[in-house]
Amino acid sequence: MFLSQLPVLSKSALLLSGSDPPRDEIGLIPCPEARYNRSPIVMVENKLGVESWCVKFLLPYVHNKLLLYRQRRLWLDRQALVDITCTLLLLNPDLTTAWNVRKELVECGALSPERDLYLGKLALSKSPKSPETWIHRRWVLLHLLQKAPPADQNQTDAERSRLLGEQLAQTLQQEMKVCADAACRYPSNYNAWSHRIWVLQRLAKGNVKVFLDELSSMRPWVSAHVSDHSGFHYRQFLLQELTGALAPPAGCSSNGERSAVEEPPHDLPAVQQLFCHELELVSDLIRSFPGHETLWSHRRHVFFLWHRWKEQHPGDGGDEGGDPAEGAQTRLSQTSAGVPMEVERGCSSDPQDIKRLRRGVPLPQPPTSQTEHVFVSGLLDGCGPEQRSFALAYRKWLDTVVGVPS
Amino acid sequence: MLGTQIKDVILKPDAPSSLLLDKHADYIAAYGSKKDDYEYTLSEYLRMSGIYWGLTVMDLMGQLDRMNLQEIIDFIKACQHDCGGFSASIGHDPHLLYTLSAVQILCLYDSLHAIDVDKVVEYVKGLQQEDGSFAGDKWGEIDTRFSFCAVATLALLGKMEMINVDRAVEFVLSCMNFDGGFGCRPGSESHAGQIYCCTGFLSLTGQLHQLNADLLGWWLCERQLPSGGLNGRPEKLPDVCYSWWVLASLKIIGRIHWIDKSRLRQFILACQDEETGGFADRPGDMVDPFHTLFGVAGLSLLGEEQVKAVNPVLCMPEDVLQRIGLQPDLLS
Repeated sequence: MFLSQLPVLSKSALLLSGSDPPRDEIGLIPCPEARYNRSPIVMVENKLGVESWCVKFLLPYVHNKLLLYRQRRLWLDRQALVDITCTLLLLNPDLTTAWNVRKELVECGALSPERDLYLGKLALSKSPKSPETWIHRRWVLLHLLQKAPPADQNQTDAERSRLLGEQLAQTLQQEMKVCADAACRYPSNYNAWSHRIWVLQRLAKGNVKVFLDELSSMRPWVSAHVSDHSGFHYRQFLLQELTGALAPPAGCSSNGERSAVEEPPHDLPAVQQLFCHELELVSDLIRSFPGHETLWSHRRHVFFLWHRWKEQHPGDGGDEGGDPAEGAQTRLSQTSAGVPMEVERGCSSDPQDIKRLRRGVPLPQPPTSQTEHVFVSGLLDGCGPEQRSFALAYRKWLDTVVGVPS
Repeated sequence: MLGTQIKDVILKPDAPSSLLLDKHADYIAAYGSKKDDYEYTLSEYLRMSGIYWGLTVMDLMGQLDRMNLQEIIDFIKACQHDCGGFSASIGHDPHLLYTLSAVQILCLYDSLHAIDVDKVVEYVKGLQQEDGSFAGDKWGEIDTRFSFCAVATLALLGKMEMINVDRAVEFVLSCMNFDGGFGCRPGSESHAGQIYCCTGFLSLTGQLHQLNADLLGWWLCERQLPSGGLNGRPEKLPDVCYSWWVLASLKIIGRIHWIDKSRLRQFILACQDEETGGFADRPGDMVDPFHTLFGVAGLSLLGEEQVKAVNPVLCMPEDVLQRIGLQPDLLS
């Protein structure tokens, strides 16, 4: 029955994947033999399933067709190319050439970027690490960013700017969601998290509000995934961006340029509060979940960032008097210059954060190498062997790398 | 209070403990002989690299003559595109990754004359960006892996001066993290694979002094787990390919003695499959040519006498590089 039915099969697979309401997940149903003389495509709620027995026939058939096209030995119209690449990539998302064919289709307008991003999202539901899927996604996003929306005579400049901002915000949210889903599907998913960083670097440069929201919304996630090194690295990235935006090194403005005339923005208490808050988080987690290398690695990073920042701002920060929280509130409620972007969050910022900022709660003691050594010593009593060895390694790291001996 | 289980594997007492070189040679020689195999089609998108892995491990084991030289050269020729770059297989699109693999294979066979070398150089040169980084192909993805592919390709062809080396170095150094490691782009997480690419890059461009070797060496040797195996980042499981990425990096920066060699060797040997031949990522898993190469290459770095000496920067037999006259820097 089979060879003649392959074209029909591949068509039905895509009709289902492109349907309305959209499928949100695709998977292979382990089913080594065809049981009945019926289609191997299965649908349950919003999930698309493909019985595994048909894949070994389907894939080589469509694979071969695409390569013949690529060698100009076979003509395929645009719709056929859309269909074939869709089928192929759902089965083998690392097939770079198929993604490239789709790039060409997007470029000539035969395929919408949104539709292509949707395929990527589906592919990631089954293959959350797929490097080629993430790589292709970045190209599509860049293409979207560079493509100017059609000029509407009735729009003012301000409106265009606002609409652009909204579109950007939507794209940003969508990408955060795709990354979050992939991060949940595979532990310490390097590709998902490095994509997430790339998106912020491109779409949210210098946007303090976005960084703060991300820091806040990731708190419960990392607390529930204490082995996820990539998740914690993401927080290190956010902290680094925030310190750069809130209090750049002396002599630079927040966009990194030398500004002799302008007073660079300086929200030192806010920076100190961020670091204290982060160290508190990692201390809680280290105590609650002993023996996790990721947590100790995070501590090293956070303390190092803090230590280096203090060296670049000698004599600044919350050790002086005054109400440090006041400065923090004014700064943190502003977005940075650039495309004004109100990002709607499903979950609100940590209420503790906001209360503290508003109440003018005095900042805790700024962290030092000494306080870090005290933390280590406090833990060494009565801890297990793994925790002990990480604690001692941290102590050694403080002495050798940071350079202030115990 | 319960003790934490460190993420690791436990080596079984009956795990393989001696090197089964003949079985591995048989495994590689037979690999891909059934080209209709579904798995084989699935991996066609990286075929050129797959061939490089297979041929290199055969050469390291002194068994290269079992492979079909002419068939492979013809295949490679058919994969060079007009732009000069090579694709993974016939009909696929060209990319830097497969351009490097193609050049490496041709070096093994001393057959660079079979292709248009100038065109390759033009392709690589054309992928360098303003900031010194390299795109993987015309579509523009930036990754430090591609910086390595670019300089390795040109080094093998003796044409490094055709790119802006200083700018390329600047970009790679901008990807150095505070822990001494490197990620795929500036601001990315340190990862043993990326670290290998960046240390290899710095070796080929004569810039190893820019590294903090003690700091990086420390990060790298912390990859060793109780089982003896190496992982790529904190709290990941050990994987035999990290016996290459981590070990080669340590060798390049002159700190390979920071690893417990005998426990690592024991782990690598345990990843062999006594029945099918080949190595898997960890004991008991399915074998493949990728892990087979890196298992054998790792053992070579550890001093295994039955295997030829392997170059830690290019993952090719040292005698091949000696023939070309390429001796990348290593720190002592």
